[in-house]
Amino acid sequence: MSISKRFLGLLALVIMAISMLGCLGGSETVKIGMLSPQTGPIAQYAPGFEDAAKIAIADLNAAHEGDFEFELIMMDTGCDGTQAATSAQTLVDSGVSAIVGAACSGATLGAIAVAAPAGVPMVSYASTSPAVTTAEDNGHLFRVVPSDAQQAVALTTVASAAGVSKPAVLYMTNDYGAGLGDNFASNWSGEVCTSVGYDPAEGRYDATTLAQSVIDGGCDSVLLMSYATDGAAIMEALSAQGFDGSVFGADGVADATFTDSFTDASAVDGLIATRPRPGEDSSAKGDFEAAYAAAGGADGAIYTGETYDAVSIIGAAIAGKGDGSIIDSLKSVGVNYVGASGTHTFDASGDVLGTGYEVCQFAGNDFSCPRTWTADEGLSGN
Amino acid sequence: MPLVLERISVEKKGNVVQDLPKRLTLNNPILHKLLICLLVIVDAYLGLIYGVGIIRWSNLFRNDIALLLLAGEMFIGGMLFLRLILSQAQGIIRTVALVMIPLLVIVIGLIIVEVLLTGLGRVATINLNLSAIGLSGLYWAAVYLTIGIGLTLTYKVQGFANFAQAEMMLIGSYVALIMMWSDKFSFLSEAPTDGVLNWELLLWSSIFAFVIAGLAGYLIDRLVYRKLRNRNATFQVMMIASLGVSMVVRALLFVRFSANNFRFVPDKDWRLTTSVIETPTQTLQIHLGDRLSGGFIETVQNVAPFGFSFSKVTLVVGVIACLVFVLGILYKTRLGRQMRAVGDNPGLAASSGINLEGIYGKTSFLSAGTAGLGGAFLAAILPINPMLGLALLLPAFAVIVLGTIGSIAGVIFGALIVGLLRALSEPLLIGVGNSLDRPTASGFAEVVPFVFLVGLLLLAPRGIGAALQEWNIKRIRKRVTAGRTKYLFRPSIPSLRNNLDRLGLVQIQYVFTYVSKVRTVIWFLLDRITYSLSWIPTGVGFSLQFARTGIQAGIRFVFRISRFKWNIDPETQKGSWILFIVLMVILICIVWLLPSVTALTKTMQIARIATLLGIFGLASFALNLHTGITGMTNFGVIFFIGIGAVTVGILCAPIATNGYGWSPLAATLVAVTVSAIAGWLLAYPTARLRMDYFAIVTISLGEMLRISLQAEPLLRAGTVTSAIGISQYSMPLEKWWSSGPSSYVGNLLGLPVPAPYVVLLAGIAITSLVGVWLLLDTVLSSPWGRILRSIREDEVVSQHHGHNILIQKAASLALGAAIAALAGALWAWLNTNIWPDFMNPVRTTFLIWAAYIVGGRGNNKGMIVGAFVIVIVEFLFNILVASRGATSMPLHGVTNYADSIFSWLMVNVGGLIWSSKSLTEIFPRGEILLSLPHVKLALVGLVIIIALIAASKGLLPEVPSRPNRIKKTEK
Repeated sequence: MSISKRFLGLLALVIMAISMLGCLGGSETVKIGMLSPQTGPIAQYAPGFEDAAKIAIADLNAAHEGDFEFELIMMDTGCDGTQAATSAQTLVDSGVSAIVGAACSGATLGAIAVAAPAGVPMVSYASTSPAVTTAEDNGHLFRVVPSDAQQAVALTTVASAAGVSKPAVLYMTNDYGAGLGDNFASNWSGEVCTSVGYDPAEGRYDATTLAQSVIDGGCDSVLLMSYATDGAAIMEALSAQGFDGSVFGADGVADATFTDSFTDASAVDGLIATRPRPGEDSSAKGDFEAAYAAAGGADGAIYTGETYDAVSIIGAAIAGKGDGSIIDSLKSVGVNYVGASGTHTFDASGDVLGTGYEVCQFAGNDFSCPRTWTADEGLSGN
Repeated sequence: MPLVLERISVEKKGNVVQDLPKRLTLNNPILHKLLICLLVIVDAYLGLIYGVGIIRWSNLFRNDIALLLLAGEMFIGGMLFLRLILSQAQGIIRTVALVMIPLLVIVIGLIIVEVLLTGLGRVATINLNLSAIGLSGLYWAAVYLTIGIGLTLTYKVQGFANFAQAEMMLIGSYVALIMMWSDKFSFLSEAPTDGVLNWELLLWSSIFAFVIAGLAGYLIDRLVYRKLRNRNATFQVMMIASLGVSMVVRALLFVRFSANNFRFVPDKDWRLTTSVIETPTQTLQIHLGDRLSGGFIETVQNVAPFGFSFSKVTLVVGVIACLVFVLGILYKTRLGRQMRAVGDNPGLAASSGINLEGIYGKTSFLSAGTAGLGGAFLAAILPINPMLGLALLLPAFAVIVLGTIGSIAGVIFGALIVGLLRALSEPLLIGVGNSLDRPTASGFAEVVPFVFLVGLLLLAPRGIGAALQEWNIKRIRKRVTAGRTKYLFRPSIPSLRNNLDRLGLVQIQYVFTYVSKVRTVIWFLLDRITYSLSWIPTGVGFSLQFARTGIQAGIRFVFRISRFKWNIDPETQKGSWILFIVLMVILICIVWLLPSVTALTKTMQIARIATLLGIFGLASFALNLHTGITGMTNFGVIFFIGIGAVTVGILCAPIATNGYGWSPLAATLVAVTVSAIAGWLLAYPTARLRMDYFAIVTISLGEMLRISLQAEPLLRAGTVTSAIGISQYSMPLEKWWSSGPSSYVGNLLGLPVPAPYVVLLAGIAITSLVGVWLLLDTVLSSPWGRILRSIREDEVVSQHHGHNILIQKAASLALGAAIAALAGALWAWLNTNIWPDFMNPVRTTFLIWAAYIVGGRGNNKGMIVGAFVIVIVEFLFNILVASRGATSMPLHGVTNYADSIFSWLMVNVGGLIWSSKSLTEIFPRGEILLSLPHVKLALVGLVIIIALIAASKGLLPEVPSRPNRIKKTEK
């Protein structure tokens, strides 16, 4: 294990060295901007985004060696529209060809108000709000995360297949959590036992109280629309209060590294979680995850695959645009694009529909994804 | 002064029983008030149940808003009723009533929900798990006390609200993490579970956290606060300085420990889900809105015991121990007596031979140390990141205000009440929220302390602690008059010793003597240690001296040019104008020189800076009017900005997506009016408050609005699904702009495309800024401006001159609020959408304060310069941030250099203290990079501190509106 990690690390180094040598030849330098929430309420996830983006840049430089030299200019959004827009202005002033980001929907919408008039396209890797679809972006705004609505349908199917009748819905009161929670509640035909929103910033919510509300309501299961840190805290609290029903989660927790967020990893046992399905027989996901682990990427990260894909799509679009516009190139690259976080096809408003979800589970600490869900076929696998 | 007035009014209302017959006539003001109360309550009741009454008939409001208003009406009725009762109650009944207010308010809330649900024909079930609520309440109380104890202590002795206390707590948490990662202890957190709790790491961490956080507090006191004290800085200045300190410390923590979450695991066994104390419990079910089928309250059978985790027990026990320790020092030692003396009257204390600076230093050490200790315990429960302090600071402020600032007994009460209130309100809000289609209602649990605080301050303007104290004083006074002078709760050691003597227990007497001797020795040693450590600040001070001299020389240079070359004094009208123009020219040159790639991007850049200047300038005007002119420390400018932005957004969003489809102009007028009304109303509960209470109420108002934006569906628009956020609202003159003028202006500026909308917005922003500036200067040079200034200088004197302070303050608040709302509207248009995080105080309130401090308090020209500086600093710093990513950028080498210095500091210097593991945990990729956005945060904080210390009046000081007195010109 460690040998292969070391080998991959060496490989990455060699690749980087070669690409450095490559830039000595007359390759074209292309600047890609990135908006990352380095300060503000979700700052703890910024290192993961940035690590993923750096891997994507290294891969791009390796793939287009001699032709293009990609540079990543990282700016802070503070998860806030004003600061994101000012950062976007700086990126535009530095002459970036495209911008990856932002994470928070508010930041994305603030930044596009600057990027679109300047003719710079943006590909968001984590903004899930429906407001992103309707933004006045003049065709400049894309995103590689599907809207929450579909995942809520997948979760509904998974939960009813598991035979639960009185689920509690615990969700974060940000655009991601609230979107999933609302959509689940409107899709779920049966009784919702209790439905509770919470602010995921540490010190602002109490996992024990949330767990207690599930138990006092007599709920038989929990739908957990959370990120990794708060999700782990809530699952530990549920377990401490003796809750023995099933727990379902979404892509915020559907990852093998979720156990790293626990102190007592036994609490994760039995969690069923959905996440966007990677391409049919693609190795993109596995390759990225190996590279991410080899590069020592941040633990408990979210949307790393999406970030990698957003950077890669932009890189491919720039490399393939020729004399045409980068927007057209993005649209043509974004057709059945096989990425680390699924197969992406941009629709007219720059959204991706996704190719369904895989349904993962933790048995003990073992993580596996034996089932899949698609809009046409429903749940399949065992 | 308010104290005296209240006394008189209480005495006037005395003898209720005697002249009762006279009071029961129709002319009786109390009866009038009672009637108004009942009228309001009945009107709201009729509206909720039968759909009649004033609000329903007015037909102005739609479903949910009408219900909300009716519920609000009923709440106001209930509060008026409570107030009436309180104003009549006296003595012990009044005290009991005050302490019971939380319960009464909750009962009123429940009655409102019951009526509301009955009217809607819905039911709500609220599950109250008694042990869970009690223990969670205790846990929250302990959490808030970790910051609260130190906060109160600094307050009591040094007399200001220390914002940096939350960061002191975080220092403790991170010390615990460093200890956990150290070579000596790292095996403990990694060792598998063995069923045995290991105390070693927890114990050592808490000791080190106490000492190191304490030293940090001491150091900061020497470096910052002492300098300010030497300049006779006011309470307000000290508070702002602590704000700057907290920004710097938080930024340093970010830089060192990144924004990641880390868990402190003293030993895996502490954190197992089985490591809980199972307490038997009982669940009460409250049924609301359903009076036919079941009872109001019933108990649930077969409830599983509630598990209270070990780590929370340690926190609670640790905090209580800490509290006992602090109380012991404060009331049982010589140092404590000195501290109390200094707190009560520094001048008198100094003249009786107490070394003031020594006491201040020890207080800083003690208060920061207790916070650090709490931080170490807290780290064992919550994942730690540098933002945690800010999340806990505001509720901690609510705790100390509730318990009357500076009263340790009050703070315990305050913490218990706020903790229980928070624990109780969560299940209540969950139950009620679910039946009202508002599952996010539990988010309001966080603001319940604030709501409660505002309500309480309406009823008892000086907090619960004052009520307790008053009661206690009366009790003691009674006892003294009855001839018994012995205090019940303060057995002095000598008297106890005498009693023991009489009992013949000589051996125990020896123990007592021994204990007191040891105590003397320990305190002597501690005294020596703190004294001998005072060389540290001298050393650091020396190295800072160099930097400071440079900065001062720079500032002096600027002033020298203006003073000597043209013979100009910035405190005269002419001098102020010239300096203003010089500074503006310099700033505009900087804007001109900012790099950009094309004409289009440069145009957009300048337009954006101009718009931001307009927004921040207007916001600073509002702050200046409230704080600089009228003297009310307003930390809630963002509240009024938020009202403006949200009102404009909601009203202008399309009807199809939950909006109202208004035109931007009408919406702006409404927004400005609504905000002005809110400002006017705010004066009623707060005008009588002390400055610090006002600051905390306003900061919590902003927080309430932010959380409402997250939780309340009525404050969402722009998407069909009522997702969080407001978007899709129409912009002013947008259609007109794109129909022709944009191409014309684009041509004029030599752009290849029509000019973007932000150019028009920049025009609107600058026009508004100049317009409001002219308006304000006219208004403030009128007699009204002089009245406001007189209130700032001395409220009582102003009152004696016949001015109604309440009305003047209300007018000032209303005008400022209206200006802030205009800034909010501009902000909404610039951002094109509104999200809860736009109200983040770090991004808004604190930046506006920085502009205000840097610009020059009381001077509107200074506000423009300050706002300009703050906006430009962001753009300038961004160039540096962007340079890291691209080799071709001008400052790429600088960032590399900064990184290598930082890396050297982390590895070679810091490495002497911490283990290499504590570096690889933070920088897993091995490259140690300096987080530039956080350096910017530190810079803003430093600018605030340096401005306060070096040029306390700001770049453009206030110009005295009167000619100088002869004495001054002689100088």
